[in-house]
Amino acid sequence: MASSQELSDFLRDVERRAFKQTVYAVRDDHAALDIVQDTMLKLAEKYADKPVSEYPMLFQRILQNTMRDYWRRQKVRNLWTTLLSSFGAGQDGEDDHDPLDTIDVEDESDNPMVQLERSQTMVIIEKALEKLPARQREAFVLRYWEDMDVAETAEMMGCSQGSVKTHCSRAVHTLAVILEKHGLGSRAISQLGVET
Amino acid sequence: MSTKNQDLENTELDTQARQIAGLLDAHAKRLSLRTLKQLENGRERAVKAHAQQVSGVSVNHDGTLNSISAWAEQHRIVSAGLVLAAIIAGFVIMQSLSHRESSDAFLLSADLPPEAFVDRSFEPSLNNGKAKL
Repeated sequence: MASSQELSDFLRDVERRAFKQTVYAVRDDHAALDIVQDTMLKLAEKYADKPVSEYPMLFQRILQNTMRDYWRRQKVRNLWTTLLSSFGAGQDGEDDHDPLDTIDVEDESDNPMVQLERSQTMVIIEKALEKLPARQREAFVLRYWEDMDVAETAEMMGCSQGSVKTHCSRAVHTLAVILEKHGLGSRAISQLGVET
Repeated sequence: MSTKNQDLENTELDTQARQIAGLLDAHAKRLSLRTLKQLENGRERAVKAHAQQVSGVSVNHDGTLNSISAWAEQHRIVSAGLVLAAIIAGFVIMQSLSHRESSDAFLLSADLPPEAFVDRSFEPSLNNGKAKL
């Protein structure tokens, strides 16, 4: 059984990645925060008796399921929104700006040019990731970002290892083509100083 | 030769995928203070819930105690036994009620008046009558 300290350390390690992954999937920061917080609670409440070594897989599984639940609810909500949108909706909340939302932490004191290039590249990558089909994005995130092997990814996604390879290959290919289109080949990315 | 080219291309794509993942990872570390604060709140709530689970007291999302369901969750065998006992008791009660109903129906539909079944001397006199015959 994992101790509370181990759980805290684990969550601290994964929470930022989980948040970004969820943002790419649901395209809404607030919803992503809710999903990640919900996932953390579910992990703590339902799997308190599990050892910490099982947490990465459990956390990812809960996260993916919570995202799916969100999509299901969103489908129903969108239907109503579409039906009611013709009655006219204002652009609420657009003026609400909080400086805390834009202050980044851990702003490395890199070369400003590298920082600029990196942020521009990130915009391209993020948009490309958002455009990927859900299964391809899931496979890419689990396989490369979460560094799971093919078997673990297949188990997580509930499909065969062959399907995982196909999804990953298509996802990487699409991303590579988009990056190449913006003049960002493999060499350009490696020059941004990211360790792989 | 084409297989070799394919392998090379796959390796290149794999490297590129890992580079992209590295960039994403680096970028994920740069979140706004507000987001980090909210993530921290979520983490603290989860850790608190975990501690309460470990200590044997369950708390709902809204902070209220969830003692009955928590107890049932933790003592699954005992609660399953209690439910089974309740079902058996219910069955026995139903059976006895239906037995009483059938005996009432018998008394009411019999040829003899109900008083005959209450009178203790009725059965011996009936038996004597049979013996004389």
